[in-house]
Amino acid sequence: MIDSILLVDDEDLFHIVFDDACSLLDISLSLEGIYSSDEAEGRAIEWADNPLNKPDCVFVDLNIIGSSFDGIELIRRVNHKYGNGVVIGIISSSFNEEEILKAEEVGAQFWIVKSDDIEPRLEEFKEDFEGYKDRTNPFKVYK
Amino acid sequence: MSLKLNEEAQSALIDLGESRGIFIEGNILKLFDASEDAFKTYIDTALEKDAERRKKRLEITKQVQDKNKELQEKANENETLMAELKEALKVAEDAKEAALSDLDVMQKKSQFQLIGSIVSYALWVIVGTGLITTFMYAMAIYWGSTETTLIGNTWSNLFGILLTNSFSIIGTIMGVKYANKDDDKE
Repeated sequence: MIDSILLVDDEDLFHIVFDDACSLLDISLSLEGIYSSDEAEGRAIEWADNPLNKPDCVFVDLNIIGSSFDGIELIRRVNHKYGNGVVIGIISSSFNEEEILKAEEVGAQFWIVKSDDIEPRLEEFKEDFEGYKDRTNPFKVYK
Repeated sequence: MSLKLNEEAQSALIDLGESRGIFIEGNILKLFDASEDAFKTYIDTALEKDAERRKKRLEITKQVQDKNKELQEKANENETLMAELKEALKVAEDAKEAALSDLDVMQKKSQFQLIGSIVSYALWVIVGTGLITTFMYAMAIYWGSTETTLIGNTWSNLFGILLTNSFSIIGTIMGVKYANKDDDKE
């Protein structure tokens, strides 16, 4: 089980769906949801001073309405600017190959396609998580 | 990480569950150490209830998400339709304006044509009258008529009146044209 998850998504309802799905599938013990990439960047800066606050995994939406930059840029900043090695990837309803490639280039470890039936993908992700943690798993798209 | 409750707390929770159906909720249930049978049953029941509640909520939330998506799609369709209607309205308004402008041009054109005809006829009448009177005066002089003085005075008066009328007509025409120019500017 993943100890803590941070979800960055502007959609309120998806926070509820994700929380319930993670709990039902025993994916995580604690889940925090935030609504903008700016706030998420603030957290990433904070993790450098307080590594204990760092979650085990970060799920980032691709287009986060009300944010200064999108999910891919957030991942780039988290990976290359703050370099804290957190497991991070995209969770989005989009399945644009160009965007997926960009995400991979900036260091996203996975891309989960959001849909009504997200549980099987999360279950598959749960099984792969250890591989992401020790960086042995290659980039993967869950669709 | 595991949480262990003392016996008193465990039995209080069990009693609360049995008597009033109140159970602990959430992921904290997964952290309790439930080695004793009675408390394990309580935790299992609480987990079961929590899972049921979450399943139900998940189902409802997904339905709400679907409805939201439908509403969003409808809103987008409405927006597109509104944009199309606005465009059509704009086209209709432009066409109306063009038609009104054409009508105005046509009216002015016919007005000018009418003025042109009046001027033309008036000039023909003036020139014709002038020519006839002059011819008559010339003939009277040629034939040595005794009425040349009378005809001369008449010719002179008539010519003066005709000239005055000509200038009056020309002045009226210029005034009409000037007024039309002012209308155009407005």
